[in-house]
This record gives sequence, structure tokens and C-alpha cells, in this order.
Amino acid sequence: MSAAKGTPTAIRMGQAALGLGLLTAWETGSRTGAIDKFFFSQPSEIGRRLWQWLATGSIWRHLGTTLAEAALAFAIGVGLGIVFGFLLARMPRVAALLDPYIRIANALPRVVLAPIFLLWFGLGIWSKVALGVTVVFFIVFFNTWQGVREADPIVINNARMLGASESQLIRHVLIPSALSWIFSSLHISIGFAMIAVVVGEYLGSSRGVGYLIAQAEGVFDTTGVFAGMAVLASVVLIIGAGVNRLERWLLRWKPQRDVTAAY
Amino acid sequence: MLGLDNAALEFRQIARRFTSPDGIPYLALIDVNLTVRAGRFVSVVGPSGCGKSTLLNLAAGLMRPSEGSVSLFGQELGGINRRAAYMFQQDALLPWKTVLDNVALGLEFRGKTRAAARAEADGWLHRVGLDGFGGSFPYQLSGGMRKRAAMAQCWITGPDIVLMDEPFAALDVHTRLRMQQEILGLWAETGKTVLFVTHDLEEAIAMSDEVAVLAAGPGSRIVARHTVDMPRPRDLLDIRTQPRFLELYKSIWADLRAQVLRSYERG
Repeated sequence: MSAAKGTPTAIRMGQAALGLGLLTAWETGSRTGAIDKFFFSQPSEIGRRLWQWLATGSIWRHLGTTLAEAALAFAIGVGLGIVFGFLLARMPRVAALLDPYIRIANALPRVVLAPIFLLWFGLGIWSKVALGVTVVFFIVFFNTWQGVREADPIVINNARMLGASESQLIRHVLIPSALSWIFSSLHISIGFAMIAVVVGEYLGSSRGVGYLIAQAEGVFDTTGVFAGMAVLASVVLIIGAGVNRLERWLLRWKPQRDVTAAY
Repeated sequence: MLGLDNAALEFRQIARRFTSPDGIPYLALIDVNLTVRAGRFVSVVGPSGCGKSTLLNLAAGLMRPSEGSVSLFGQELGGINRRAAYMFQQDALLPWKTVLDNVALGLEFRGKTRAAARAEADGWLHRVGLDGFGGSFPYQLSGGMRKRAAMAQCWITGPDIVLMDEPFAALDVHTRLRMQQEILGLWAETGKTVLFVTHDLEEAIAMSDEVAVLAAGPGSRIVARHTVDMPRPRDLLDIRTQPRFLELYKSIWADLRAQVLRSYERG
């Protein structure tokens, strides 16, 4: 995503050709019967379904629910993750005490919590939000913790000598220093927040894109399943691009990395 | 000569121990006694690893002595030294703040409004020759320019004492000479007390009123003190070839040489 800015035209063309080629192969395959339409659907069918959803507006209710859940899970998880990351990085003794329990909690596969959360929080949005929070929290928490501990001791000492109080130190040194770590965790957490709430919806809900996919699957409607996946992927990409812009602006003090070198 | 009443900084019977991560104790300084009189430019020279930076960190209050005490204008130092500024050997500017905001930082921490702090910082940028670079981030500046910014950042808060830890070690010879001259100019204008740490004896003599020699570690102590009785203002471009400079160099080097050899033996 971030690499796209410096991408040469040839690569862009290649990317488009690759996508078109795959879609054409899929389309012709299913039309000629080489690919079983029942199991794999067909791009034109999926496109038609997406258009239908958009034209009737039926998708907005589900997408809105999923986005609201993901946004809440993301906001709460990021908030808690940053606060706890900071606290534990500043209190190494408490961190040492809690260490094994944090590890145990993080080792737990989050999906198994979904049924428990359904019981605790019901079929509404909060059971999905809770599931999302457990995923987002740990990613942000560990990155913030690491980011604060990696802060350059020389810069910290300099700020101290210039007269910084503890709160000024946090605001002017520790937060900016941890920011690049926090951002790398935000990229991952957006995707994970979506996955978590969709899984939650899939396991038990009455609306949302996960519910839509579960419904389609229940009647062997592979077109519906693929259309739901397309909606989710596009939304995550759009939000990711937004985070990228924010990151570029907030981390403008860093020397630009050579983005083409990644290729 | 023993005007202890105007001592800006006084180290008394200092010992400082460290414990390595493997639990091995290391004695960095022992029996260190040093008085820095107000308004003087005092250098401490010594072989690498002799505890020069430790001495500065003690003066800054970033570190506490294991034994002994550090006094600041007659009062024992209990925490961060609020009357001192510290110029570090490494880059210590906040990389996420512009040069202007970096210079203004000390004033902001002291409660000035951002606008007032920036206005004053602007004057300092002019003073250290960084006009037009206020909006740049530190990574966009050369090493010498970053040092100028660090200089302004230190001096703007109006400290009584300036602590400097080999601030020019990373610069090329000519930039270094210019920076030394500028520091001397600032010092002459403001009359602050300076404690300057370096391993470069020429630099120490050229800039200082007094040079103290720290022994090779472990267990460093001050082994010699010399007064540099050369007139001021000094022209750093020519001072190194003057007969008095060479005499001083020879006599201090005799002391320092022994310590450097000892540090070689200890590998």
C-alpha cells in the first residue's frame, strides 16, 4: 500500500494485467465448466450481486453494523493498549509481576472466547466488540510497551536536563518515540479488528457482513460469500490507506525510506 | 587561589560503582575531589573509559554518587541539577521536533508559552548561525548544524553551569575548530561556568582555564591539575603554535601519557 507512491508505471500495468488475467481465467473457466460454478461462483455473478446490494442499499445496514463494531473494538483496544503499554513500560516491577499472566492471556486463541462473549454480552454488537478488543489490545499493548522501552536514553536525559517533568517527558519524548511502533501495530490491528468482529457475527448475530456471509453459506450461495469477502477486503484497504496518510504526516520527522527498495 | 566560597561545583570524596548485567561490580571513580570555581572553564582529560562521562552525569544529577557528595554553589545536589545545561556527545535533539521547537523546548518546560518560547528561540537560531533552518527536522541538518542547535538548546535556558561531554568528537577537524571558537565566544559573553570533558588534550588546553587529568580506570581519580595561564580572548587558529601552549602541552601530556599507557596495559 505505502509502496504504491513510488511504483513505476510498468509495475502498475503488470499489476492490473495480473488481476484482469486472473478474473478472466476465473470467468471463462466457470462459463466453460472447467471450474464448478457451485463451489467457486463467477466474477460477473459476484459483481452483479455487489451491484444489487449497493443499488437496493441493503448492504449499508450490515456494513454499518460491522464497521461500528470494528471501530469500537479498535478504539477501545488501542486506547487500553496504549495506556497499559505505557504503564508497564514505566513500572518494570509491576511488569515483571504480571509477565506470566500476560503471556497466558495472549497465548489463548481468541476465537474460543467468542461463545463465552456471546453468553456474557448477548447477540448484539457488544459480544463482537469484546472479541475485537481482546485481539487489538494485545497487538497495540506489546508494541507500545516495546516502543517506550526503546526510547533513546540520551534523548530522555536531554529532556530531563532541559527541565521536563514526568508528564512533559511522556508527552514530548515517550509518546512520539513510541509512535512508529504504535503505528506499525495499527496497520495490523485494523485487519484483525475486522476479522474478529466478522468471526463474532458469523458465530451468532442478526446483522453485519459476517451474518450476511453466514446466511449465504447456509443456503450454499457461494456468490454471496464471495461478494461479502469483496466488501470486507475493500473496506480494510480503504481504512488502511487512511492510516497510511495519517502515519506519513505524524512521522514526517523521519528520514524517508526508499520505498522502491522493497521490490 | 583557594576561593572555595565561589565554587560553582564541588565533588567531594566521590566514589561511583556500577554493576554489570551479569552482576560483576565495577569501580569507576574513587576519591575524586574537584572544585570548579564560578565563571571558570575547566576541562577534564583522561584515557577512554576512565569515567569522564560518569563525572558529568554526577554533576548533572542524572546519577548519584555511591559515596561522597556533589555540591552546587555550596548546597548538596539531591536530584536533577536545575542550574546546569548538558551538551551530550551523541545527538540528543528530539528528532520529531523541528529545530526551532527543539531550541524552544527548555523554555516551554519552564512554563513559557509556546509563542514566547519560539520568539526567543528564533533569536538563538540567529545567534548560532541557523537562520532559516528553524522549520527543518534534525535529520535534515549536517552534524555541525545539529551541534549548533544543541548549543542553542542548552544555552537558551540561561544555566549557571554548562556541562559538555566531548561535544565535538564526531565533527571533522575544521568544523570542530569553528565550533570551539563559537563556544568560547558564547562563554566569554555570558560568563558561565563550564565543565568540559574530552580526550583531546590540545582542545582542553586551547579552551580552558584549568585542566584536570583523570587516571585510567577502574578506580579513576584526579591525578593532576594544571592552570592554563594564557591570555584571553584566544585565537584558536594560532594558539597551538605558541611557546607557552607547547610548554603546557608537554607538562600535562607527561601526566596524561602515563595514564594512557596504563589504560593500554589493561586493554
